[in-house]
Amino acid sequence: MTQLRNIAVVGFAQAPIVAHDAHRMSQEMLYPVVREALAQCGVERDAIDYQTAGSADYVDGRPFGFVAALDVMGTWPPRQDSHLEMDAAFAAHYAWIRMQAGECDTALVVGYGKVSEGQPERVLNLQLDPYYLAPLGLGPLSTSALQASAYMARSGATDRDLAEIAARNRAAGARNANAQLRTPASADELQRTAWAVEPLRQGYIPPIGESAVCVILAAQGKAESMTKQPAWIHGVDQRAELQTLGARDLTRSASARLACEKALAMAGLGGANDVDVIEMLTTNPVEEMIVRDAMGLPARGDTKPVINPSGGPIAGHPLMMTGLIRLGEAFRQLSGTADGHAVPNARRAIVHAGQGHALQQNLVFVLGRERRWS
Amino acid sequence: MKRPVAVVGVGQTKHSARRAEVSIPGLVREAVDRALLDAGLEHRDIDAVVIGKAPDMLEGVMQPEQFMAGAIGAHLKPLVRIHTAGSVGATTALAAVTHVASGLFERVLTIAFEKQSEGNAMWALSPNMPFMPPLVAGAGGYFAPYVRAYIARTNAPPHIGPMIAANARDNAGRNPCAHLQEPMTVDDVMQSPMLWEPIRYLETCPSSDGAIAMVVASEAAAKKGPRRPAWIKGGASYAEAMWVPGRDQVNPAAGRACAKHVYEQAGITDPWKQIDTAEIYVPFSWFEAMWLENLGFCDIGEGWKIVERGEQKFGAHLPINPSGGVLCSNPIGASGMLRLGEAALQVMGRAGEHQVDGATTALGHAYGGGAQYFAMWVVGSERP
Repeated sequence: MTQLRNIAVVGFAQAPIVAHDAHRMSQEMLYPVVREALAQCGVERDAIDYQTAGSADYVDGRPFGFVAALDVMGTWPPRQDSHLEMDAAFAAHYAWIRMQAGECDTALVVGYGKVSEGQPERVLNLQLDPYYLAPLGLGPLSTSALQASAYMARSGATDRDLAEIAARNRAAGARNANAQLRTPASADELQRTAWAVEPLRQGYIPPIGESAVCVILAAQGKAESMTKQPAWIHGVDQRAELQTLGARDLTRSASARLACEKALAMAGLGGANDVDVIEMLTTNPVEEMIVRDAMGLPARGDTKPVINPSGGPIAGHPLMMTGLIRLGEAFRQLSGTADGHAVPNARRAIVHAGQGHALQQNLVFVLGRERRWS
Repeated sequence: MKRPVAVVGVGQTKHSARRAEVSIPGLVREAVDRALLDAGLEHRDIDAVVIGKAPDMLEGVMQPEQFMAGAIGAHLKPLVRIHTAGSVGATTALAAVTHVASGLFERVLTIAFEKQSEGNAMWALSPNMPFMPPLVAGAGGYFAPYVRAYIARTNAPPHIGPMIAANARDNAGRNPCAHLQEPMTVDDVMQSPMLWEPIRYLETCPSSDGAIAMVVASEAAAKKGPRRPAWIKGGASYAEAMWVPGRDQVNPAAGRACAKHVYEQAGITDPWKQIDTAEIYVPFSWFEAMWLENLGFCDIGEGWKIVERGEQKFGAHLPINPSGGVLCSNPIGASGMLRLGEAALQVMGRAGEHQVDGATTALGHAYGGGAQYFAMWVVGSERP
């Protein structure tokens, strides 16, 4: 293994997730978030070597939507830049790779987009194979429901199990000032909500939400002066798999399992039980069970690591930035800034992010309060 | 860069108006298969896939790399999708280089494509921006005012654009992959309809279906390959904001900054003397003269004079776009990577009929957005 650099999350700001910000364009939502993240680090934009973003034109409803973000990211004078048509967590991973290549020491990573201006179920239908799947009209709810049915049939998980996981996330979301759903709901209440697409109920899935997110990464030597407690990246890996629903075992996530194994190995940890907190990009209770299983944790019931103390995507899911928020939440937990939803004495965290239908692509970070490499 | 990186395989399609007989992944696989064959590798040898294309609206598929994950060999591998407007093909290849330079990946497959016949580029490239009157003029309508500004500043005569277009077509005649190969004269171009003054029909890039793929590799992996590699001597991607008072779209600051950074890495102090050939992103004829200045090949106001003297022709001092360039093949998302890939082929000595004799150092360049995104590399025949 090549010699790796210690790189940390040193700043994180987000707009509170709302169903619809009627007054601001996506870049107007993003600008104060970029300023806040820079202010947290006590630096101006000139101190940052590199910038990158994650967003999707189809979420923006126009080509080149990301160009508008340049103006609020401080792209003058000209900056070294890239943009990923992916959840912004993947942009953070790419920035980390750039830092490993020695091409920069600090990076600004943003995610944005106003999903409320479109119809996500129809927009995300266009992610599917245009020849075989998209014409069937499937959206992410339908593909998630197919996955959930298959998982429940294999594992014996019940509607009640799903309700309890959703209720746990809702209770956590109530303690998170940036969550969209801030009222707790009991498993009984959620189990009485109507089917969205059977076996997923309205109470088990996220509402449409929008936000804007900025993470600042810095390498050892810079990170220490930018924050009191950096969240050092100990390991990271991402893996994709086939989209074709019939070509993979929907009840398991091979790509999440592999990404987690690789990230844990890079971190020098034996398993997911070695961390205190996990933030997962799981948009319904079955996805959470499948990712827990992929991490080697029990799919149901209590786990040693606290899962989604922020409430997770079930309490707020702004498309294309939900993953980057997970990374920011890990920073909050490890830096002692999680306030109302802090996990006491959190020293290590796992971040899971992903994109695509039925957990098609998965990204796992392992972070800690101490530097990984000497 | 932490360690040397090389191009060890290049593959591209024959670019054409409409590849109706293949699907989107079918088109992409032609390039991928050729690149892997060129590198003497198979999918199992690849550690990660980095793919780019221009707006998804061009084909009407959101993040098409997701449905193509199997076709491009990305199952259970890292898959990265880049989108930086017209520069995307170049930014994508540079992202692949970064992956290898990090020491974490030995061989990365990088791909760029566009299948424009699946949609309507004029529609997809005419965004309706909030609070702005829709131009519905596509990229040509957007860039024509900058060309007029260039002419006003430099007093360039009107035949410069047509000379560039005719030369590009002459070059494309030597490139079997080029889309437009019918010969044409400067007079033919001057007689063609005016689209966006001063840009005429024959000074405009086509809409193409096409794809390119490359394998970039570490030094150790490159040494095992069957080919003489092209070494990356410098690379960078820069952007600049849209709304800045005093911003200059004729000679953009981001282009100058990017070139400066790349030349510094490559040890180039006099690009006119040290670079043997350049593949630069010229979607409308006049941009060739503009970019010659922006890239530092000459002083400001001198770019059109290079064209008038014919010094950028094939066989002359600095052949520009020996492949025929974007004016003759424009699968938009692939066009930037085609520039970088063609530059690599030149220093590998494998450009065939359009090989520039003795080319050992070549520039590949792309731009995008409102002349805001710039990405380029310098490749060489010798390990840096």
